[in-house]
Amino acid sequence: MTALAARALAPASAGRLLRLEIRRNAMVWALPLLAVLFVYDPYRTASGYPPVWDVRASVILNHMLFDFGAFAGGLAAWAGSRDGRRQTRDLLAATARPAWARQAAALAGTLFWVLLGFLAAVAVLYIQTARQVTWGGPPLWPVAVGAVALITICAIGFTAGALVPGRFTAPLVAVGVVVLDLVGFREALGPSSAYALLSPSAGALPDDTGLFYPVAPDVAIAQVMFMGGITAAVLGILALSPALRWPGTLRWPGTLRWPGTWRLPAGATGPWLPAVAITVVAAGLAAAGTAAGLAGTARPVVSGWEIPALHNAASDRPLAYPPDCTGTSFQVCVHPAFSFFRDDVAAALDPVAAEVAGLPGAPLSAEEAAARGKGALLGGVITGIPPVYEFNGERAGSLIGAFQGTTASASSSTWRALFQQAFLDALVAGPAHAGSPGPASPAQQAVVTALLTAVGSQVPQSHQVAGGGPPGEPSPAQIAAAANRFAALPSAARHAWLAAHLPALRAGQVTLAQLP
Amino acid sequence: MTAAGWQDPPAAPVLAAWPVPAGVRLVWLHLLSRRVPAAAVALVGCGAVLRAALQWHWTFSSGPYAQRIPLIIEAGAAAAIVVTSHSPFGEAERATGRWLPWLRLGTALALTGLAIGALQLGVTGAGLNEGIMVLARNVIGMTGIGLLCSLVTGGLLAWILPLAYMAFAQYALLEAWRSPWTWPARPPADRGAWLCACVVFAVGLAAFTISGARNSLADNA
Repeated sequence: MTALAARALAPASAGRLLRLEIRRNAMVWALPLLAVLFVYDPYRTASGYPPVWDVRASVILNHMLFDFGAFAGGLAAWAGSRDGRRQTRDLLAATARPAWARQAAALAGTLFWVLLGFLAAVAVLYIQTARQVTWGGPPLWPVAVGAVALITICAIGFTAGALVPGRFTAPLVAVGVVVLDLVGFREALGPSSAYALLSPSAGALPDDTGLFYPVAPDVAIAQVMFMGGITAAVLGILALSPALRWPGTLRWPGTLRWPGTWRLPAGATGPWLPAVAITVVAAGLAAAGTAAGLAGTARPVVSGWEIPALHNAASDRPLAYPPDCTGTSFQVCVHPAFSFFRDDVAAALDPVAAEVAGLPGAPLSAEEAAARGKGALLGGVITGIPPVYEFNGERAGSLIGAFQGTTASASSSTWRALFQQAFLDALVAGPAHAGSPGPASPAQQAVVTALLTAVGSQVPQSHQVAGGGPPGEPSPAQIAAAANRFAALPSAARHAWLAAHLPALRAGQVTLAQLP
Repeated sequence: MTAAGWQDPPAAPVLAAWPVPAGVRLVWLHLLSRRVPAAAVALVGCGAVLRAALQWHWTFSSGPYAQRIPLIIEAGAAAAIVVTSHSPFGEAERATGRWLPWLRLGTALALTGLAIGALQLGVTGAGLNEGIMVLARNVIGMTGIGLLCSLVTGGLLAWILPLAYMAFAQYALLEAWRSPWTWPARPPADRGAWLCACVVFAVGLAAFTISGARNSLADNA
């Protein structure tokens, strides 16, 4: 066979080698196990979230990556340790293919099944979500970050297996991957530095993520760059692994004169490979370092996290949407993604809105607003002229009243009372206390409790009588007595007193004893 | 050919300077062939990692999240135990080894005890959420799962099922499942959870003792 003919056959034989590796890879046997885990963990978790694309997609990095990562890392290490485990290194060193080509084929075989399983799971998740959402489209950045993370895990596992082909390597890599994943998750949830953003796992997202502002891809770009850099560095080390396994071939200075003089075993590498591999390692480390540096500059904004060097100002512009409204005397509008919740919100707010109608500063309508402003969670507030009650799903009623994504929880009396309490807190106690567990002053607490009682709602726990209060302050029993007294007034008398005293009450100038 | 270059074969080396009972030597060779010393190092490493996780607050201090990293490390310890079930000798050893089932039983029991001890040592004074009882129950149960898995996959891949159970139990922990089969999510004194973990361990240990892990001569780690 001529050299030309041999070269023409090379892609075909490479394809055949890849097919063999795919067919014989152990990862395929783990896929049924992963399917069961997927149904029990990410799929069920996502089903409990509100049908909002970005919120449902958060399970890809917070749950799927954990399940897939353990097996991807462990079985990649298993594939990487094959030659060492079977003691066929010397035998294979005599074959026509260099070591890096054989290892690349084995790694590609593992990656094929890992990515196939991962993308199939994402497809199932997105198809289920698409059948329920009423607004928006599927986010692709979590899929990209998840895929790159799995590639990185496979590369690390494979290289560990190739370098240390012991029986403990695969399980230890698998355990190490999930420990790292959870440590990253812990850092993402806790008060840590911006470098924690490099972890693909993230804390719970606000339920309206991606609805009012587009999700900025800055952090996702930095994560892909970081993990891509690590992958490149690890692959470079893998390419050098025959030399690393035979330390005698790396004797200084004789073997480090320049490519071509590396005395690697026959078939292990080509003369150009060490230079390329070292360049790839250096480039990978540079990319990972750059990504870490960029993550250090991140700061919270309305659209998530901003990394100045990567940020597109268009991400900060609010998204246009046609609000979904109901009601005539008191109009309630929600984001179209929360259409399924509109009637529950209206049913909760209508009675309290009617109770306070006509009072100074009482809202004439209610409108859903973004939960996050400049990175901080916002409570319900009354703004504008004429006054509008702006609420969101996160802080209505000290988190307990948050949108839970299911109408079942929305119809519960607790949620209803807490949502009404948030509305009354915003009116009676002002914006400073909205969303906090209770109004600031005892008189404000008593009035809110009385108004809730008047509309027939269950009094929230924070307003119920429990033991004695701090010294010098009215006790919860005294507040409850005042609330009962105020609630027992005729509706017209209560309304008239509030019309006259609401500004003073809101300013904290009314004491408990002054309540009628 | 002449006999000039012929030499008598070298005499068999004296095995030890002092007499070692054959039983002890048999046990030691069995442990070496299963990489038990390396497994012991791995178990001590698991204890050290658990200590580091508690010391440097890699995990939450309370609530269901607090059990997540300890559970992973316990699964790692179980995985280190069950990969020692692989024999490099295969059928030949089965045909000649009369004491093999007892050696398998003793090795698995000793390593399980060592794992619990090493992890307990790691958390001493560090305040592990749910305490040593849950730790021991998790190690016992997941080791049993791994030993059962070794009958099907062979010892080298027997870590797969304990890890899958761990991933499943993570979800059960967060969802506060009450089934005793999800024993990592149950309180320390839960009798049903103890029963399930011990039954799995007993069945796995008995099956492994009797038949040993599935063998493949291709893998010789």
